[in-house]
Amino acid sequence: MTESLPKQNNNPLTAPFRFIEEQATVGVQLIGQVCLLFVKTLWYILRLDLDWRETFRQAYMIGWKSFWVVLITAIFTGFAMSLQISRELVGFGADTAIGGVVSLALIREIGPITAGVMVAGRVGSSIAAELTTMMVTEQIDALKVMRVDPVRFLVVPRYAAALVMIPTLSTYAMFVGLLAGIIIAKSAANLPPETFLDSVRQTILDRDFAVHYLKSAINATIIIFFSCAIGLNTRGGAEDVGIATTRAIVWTMTAIFIFNFIVTSLTYAPR
Amino acid sequence: MQENNADIKKRNIRDQEPILELRDVYKSFGDRQILKGVSFKVYAGEMLGLIGPSGCGKSTIFKIICGLLEPDSGEVILRSNDIGLVFQGSALLNSLSVRDNLALALERRKLSRKDEDEIIQQKLSLVGLGDYMQSFPTQLSGGQQKRTSFARAIVDDPKIILYDEPTTGLDPVMSTVIEDYMSELSNKLDAASIVVTHQHSTWTRTADRVILMYSGKIVWEGSAEQGMHSDNPYMKQFASASREGPMLAGVV
Repeated sequence: MTESLPKQNNNPLTAPFRFIEEQATVGVQLIGQVCLLFVKTLWYILRLDLDWRETFRQAYMIGWKSFWVVLITAIFTGFAMSLQISRELVGFGADTAIGGVVSLALIREIGPITAGVMVAGRVGSSIAAELTTMMVTEQIDALKVMRVDPVRFLVVPRYAAALVMIPTLSTYAMFVGLLAGIIIAKSAANLPPETFLDSVRQTILDRDFAVHYLKSAINATIIIFFSCAIGLNTRGGAEDVGIATTRAIVWTMTAIFIFNFIVTSLTYAPR
Repeated sequence: MQENNADIKKRNIRDQEPILELRDVYKSFGDRQILKGVSFKVYAGEMLGLIGPSGCGKSTIFKIICGLLEPDSGEVILRSNDIGLVFQGSALLNSLSVRDNLALALERRKLSRKDEDEIIQQKLSLVGLGDYMQSFPTQLSGGQQKRTSFARAIVDDPKIILYDEPTTGLDPVMSTVIEDYMSELSNKLDAASIVVTHQHSTWTRTADRVILMYSGKIVWEGSAEQGMHSDNPYMKQFASASREGPMLAGVV
């Protein structure tokens, strides 16, 4: 008696649905892994069970080494945004509001997003590549054999460092962007810096800073946990390191934009 | 007739309780059955050679012993949880110095830095790397990395040492050096050791007892000397590296 194998569904009409099903399964798995990792990491952090030396090393890698790339991005984002806003507001005769509008955009959206995206590209990808390489070369197995928890050793210091450094980078991006805005407002709209800063002071509320730091902390969480979950759950060879890196960038950036919108809609939606 | 040292050692070993025992262990990955009822015992002070062609389940046994994998059925009885594993590819953490790589294995003992340094220095000297404490793995040669991996595996004085293909990829001289280290460490630490290898010189020079695996099962067991002259078709083929025999039958 011959046993029939299950028929493979090659119907082109159902192909898009199969693709969606596959992607949804992978996505749900990854979100589950991220949640487990988050809970375990939080457990270590709440007990202050931290490898401080490694945390400082990671702070240097995540924070200090991103300063230049965030500086350049923030300058040019500030330039472009200020140029657009100046042009429109001068047309309406509202040039004194340039500072307020530019700072609102920078504090509420552009600062956290710029720092988040740049760190996701630079740090998230490198974390995913590093951890996948460690998986492939059995370094993670070596840690387990030595009874060292890979989460405590690899994830906790990275998260603790990112929680401090990513909000710092966001603040830095915000100030650099404001400085770029002042330069453009002066040169394109002939607006004195004092007027620009007066407008900033009148527009910005404490709540805007709170939202800024909330978004930065969420970005840090997304970058570290998605990158680490992808890195710690990838097996295979050199090709998989590249795949994991790409996956980490795609997932972290997508999640950053989605959560940015969620926070904005919860805090600034018209009532 | 007078007993020689090897016979005395063998008799003493067998008088003890085994430090590690596998009883009828099965393991599958998906539809592929990797281990099909593997059973063996290892005693303190003994070096067991686990040999066989690639893919016969040798490394899976190591992962099960270390707790990295769970067997589907069967029992793994460990009379000590102090296990040191020498990985095939060294598996040193590149971001850490040689000292810190070894210190990781001592972390749970919560020693002072001075005590840690003392132990690390002693173990590194044992493998001839006393001057390399502050070096990073990427600054070491392949043989030095392998020896560092040895030092890391023994830094906490384990009762069970597992060597996963320790001489693969090394030149014959370095292989001999590594094999000598293995025999020396086995004697010094009185640990139960298992070496997974398909390198002829490694199992003939180091193992007190040899187990040949094929297709997830043990097909022969005996001393290296007996293995060299065995009539068992599997052992005969493996020892002579011949194409003729039951292994890989049908492979052109």
